[in-house]
Amino acid sequence: MLAMSRDFSSITSILNNIGPFNEVPDEYSPQETINALSSSKILVIGAGGLGCEILKNLALTGFQDIHVIDMDTIDVSNLNRQFLFRAKDVGHSKAQVAAEFIQERIENNHLKITPFFGRIQDKPVEYYKQFDVVICGLDSVEARRWINATLVSLVDNELNNLIPLIDGGTEGFRGQSRVILPKVTSCYECTLDMVTPKTTYPVCTIANTPRLPEHCIEWSSVMEWPRNFGSQKFDADNPEHVEWMYQLSLKRAQEYNIEGVTRLLTLGVVKNIIPAIASTNAIIAASCCNEAFKLVTNCNPILDNYMMYSGDDSIFTYTYAHVNKKNCPVCGNMAKNVTAERWWTLEYFIDELSSKLEIQMKRPSLSSSSAYLYLRNPPNLEEKTRPNLYKKLSTLIDDGNEIVVTDPNLPISLRLVVNFSGPEHEPL
Amino acid sequence: MIDKETKYDRQLRLWASTGQANLENSHICLINASATGSEILKNLVLPGIGEFTIIDDKVVSPQDLSGNFFLKRENLGQDIATSITSNLSELNTDVKGHAINQSIKHLITKVESLFWDQFNVVIVSDYSPELDVVKDLLWDKRIPLLIVNSVGFYGSLNLIANEVTVIETHDPSRLYDLRIDCPWPELQEHADSIDLNSLSDQDHAHVPYIIIYIKVLQAWKQEHNNLPPQNYGEKKLFRLLIESYSRNIKIEANFTEASNSIHRALQVTQIPNSISKLFENSNIKDENLSLTTPIFWIYIKALKNFVHLNNNQLPLPGNLPDMASDTAGYIKLQNIYRAKALKDQELFTHEVQKILDSIGRSHDDVNTESIASFCKNSQLLYVSQGSKELYGTSLLQELLHSEQASENYNALGVYFSILTYNAYIEKFNSKPSIQDLETFSDLFFQKFSIDKAEVLPESILNTFKEVLSHNTQNYHNLNSLMGGIVSQEVLKLATSQYTPLDNLFVFDGIRSFSEKWKI
Repeated sequence: MLAMSRDFSSITSILNNIGPFNEVPDEYSPQETINALSSSKILVIGAGGLGCEILKNLALTGFQDIHVIDMDTIDVSNLNRQFLFRAKDVGHSKAQVAAEFIQERIENNHLKITPFFGRIQDKPVEYYKQFDVVICGLDSVEARRWINATLVSLVDNELNNLIPLIDGGTEGFRGQSRVILPKVTSCYECTLDMVTPKTTYPVCTIANTPRLPEHCIEWSSVMEWPRNFGSQKFDADNPEHVEWMYQLSLKRAQEYNIEGVTRLLTLGVVKNIIPAIASTNAIIAASCCNEAFKLVTNCNPILDNYMMYSGDDSIFTYTYAHVNKKNCPVCGNMAKNVTAERWWTLEYFIDELSSKLEIQMKRPSLSSSSAYLYLRNPPNLEEKTRPNLYKKLSTLIDDGNEIVVTDPNLPISLRLVVNFSGPEHEPL
Repeated sequence: MIDKETKYDRQLRLWASTGQANLENSHICLINASATGSEILKNLVLPGIGEFTIIDDKVVSPQDLSGNFFLKRENLGQDIATSITSNLSELNTDVKGHAINQSIKHLITKVESLFWDQFNVVIVSDYSPELDVVKDLLWDKRIPLLIVNSVGFYGSLNLIANEVTVIETHDPSRLYDLRIDCPWPELQEHADSIDLNSLSDQDHAHVPYIIIYIKVLQAWKQEHNNLPPQNYGEKKLFRLLIESYSRNIKIEANFTEASNSIHRALQVTQIPNSISKLFENSNIKDENLSLTTPIFWIYIKALKNFVHLNNNQLPLPGNLPDMASDTAGYIKLQNIYRAKALKDQELFTHEVQKILDSIGRSHDDVNTESIASFCKNSQLLYVSQGSKELYGTSLLQELLHSEQASENYNALGVYFSILTYNAYIEKFNSKPSIQDLETFSDLFFQKFSIDKAEVLPESILNTFKEVLSHNTQNYHNLNSLMGGIVSQEVLKLATSQYTPLDNLFVFDGIRSFSEKWKI
């Protein structure tokens, strides 16, 4: 038998024939399409559950220049779905092992997969300009916000340098895929308020009146760990740390006659574990890659712009065009209006702001048009602006003034117009 | 050695160890070693099904290799079933894979019908009408069959099962059965033992809302001919009544919560229609009960007897939502609910055993865990009767005369295009391409006995053209997407958890849009 290499016969009819739904039938050329596919540079962010699938799909549908970034190493709990990894790979870089595996399996000299073992933030903005499409298969909201803001910032007013961002996410039997055309469609930041927030429990419940096993685990994690270990950070991957947390939670639960603290639950609560299976990753990754394929080849229209999938109660999809937010801090051009009580201190205002679902900033710095209100960095400015935290916001800026909020972890500046209301003094 | 709990952690959170045990005892059969089929099995081998068997007599061609990740270049010319089985087996050493390198047509005449009994679910990828005989056989044996097709940007899935029953549906609405409107004696006694007026401010602000509801609802009923609030206006007054029991609604979190969740107080304890309908099912008529009656129906029969003995109420699930309360008050309440749930479970078990005895069946056919799970879920049970057909007259009517289909698009057209595509391959032994549009249309009219005078709407013609232009069965993105969807369905059937498809699904990868129908 001739040692042929893997060919693309599986997609030739798609590339060669113009279908009835092709949106550019007059300009469409099969040869140019094949060239576009083989020469386009595509970046895959995340080599986990979605990433493994995405890499496989791209390699089998004609993409030849694929880059992949992931900062993680392989863990045992990945093996139930991340099919490019074996038990012997535990501890190695996901991006590197995944790239090697695909190359070896596809056996095509024209296929080039370039792995990067690191954080997306480690690469300069210039690096991202080389790509034709970026596909995200991440479980981190922060990384998504970062790449989204970065790609939006590249686009100018004539829509030059527009790099489409295709984003997938899964949880259990459910997931979503979407196509973001920066400055054209809604962006990731526009939909930040759709992200399910992490379940939190009131401190007084945790401290005084625990009722659920989760309350006992939160008590160990939020109150007892810092009390016992000071600044040492809890590491959910360290079995000793987890055991300590489990035993303490169990003890507290027993004191209060609460049932249900298990090792499984403890890990779930402290790691905020999201259930994941291969099937759902396959569906969402395939949907993302189908969109990337249509985008690059122009053979059929692309998703406009959001598809939700749910498989736990029969099968259900919902496809719709999510609209841009005019006051989106990333792609919008209007400032967002917020209302503050006149008696709020700057510190109180920052707390309120950080906890808002559509803002979610961990370490915000604030400035008005004329002055710094509070800066986290550099240290000398932090020290200088710190006293402002205890002043009333209404003494620092005027009603209707605009302020800018930034966070060192995000390339975003959020413009807010602050309107004051309510009394000068805290009501009793 | 890797421990399973760690390896399977992310899925145990979905179906727990009972679901995992079912999965590990399942044997899944794939007919036709396509790329879609390989993707389905990948998604099942990873979470640890027990065994799988691939039936296909082909050898690996360059076309197979082109779109299948679980074929290696060195497999070219080798048996495809064996090659894929071996490449999939690398994924999980807990799983046993078998290859049968024979054509299904040949195999079905050769093996005894008992052969099929080893499978929990059978999957056919890229259906062909000649497989109708397999479909009929599995139907008679009551083994669920999934038929998946992938052509170009389109995919379809049929679930062909006589009957699907699910106990653990994981209903997302999460209603709690609290029985505020009909507290059993122990709960009533507990509510009565709390005298709100004599409590300290501290304790008053920590009375769980269940107690508040029981008291306020009873007070309301005394003033209203023993009736709960009837309409929006009365419900508003009821809310005000709750708030009036608070000493200071601004600082009593339990009363605020009570005022915000009055739907729980006003939930009527009754047997849902979907459940009382099951009591009329012919499966539970005395003369139909036998040694082979599925346990699910034994439980339904027992449930019917149980509610007769239990004031027309279902077994209490016994779980509580979290609510503002001190620890002791909450745990006390929880114990009262749990004790009642356990008591109901005992009564229910007794009814189950009586039925088993009456038909001479062993008590070992049921266990405490499955009874407990049934009692917890008795409001949310899922039952569906399926169909053996791939289409019916009403589906054809909908195809040709749907009001919903737009001028240039008809989702059912996708499905009938795929059925015609499969029929074409069987008839002409080659894939139809866009040059074959006329023959293809003729075959469509013939196959579905449609009057030639019928003018084919533009929308259906467009889906024909799309299927014929992009006539590949190996476009990997669709293979992988459909593979993911099919494997989700297999997981639901194999774990006996969550609700499966009922029973036809079509995915359109051009619009990233799907629709479903019941045949």
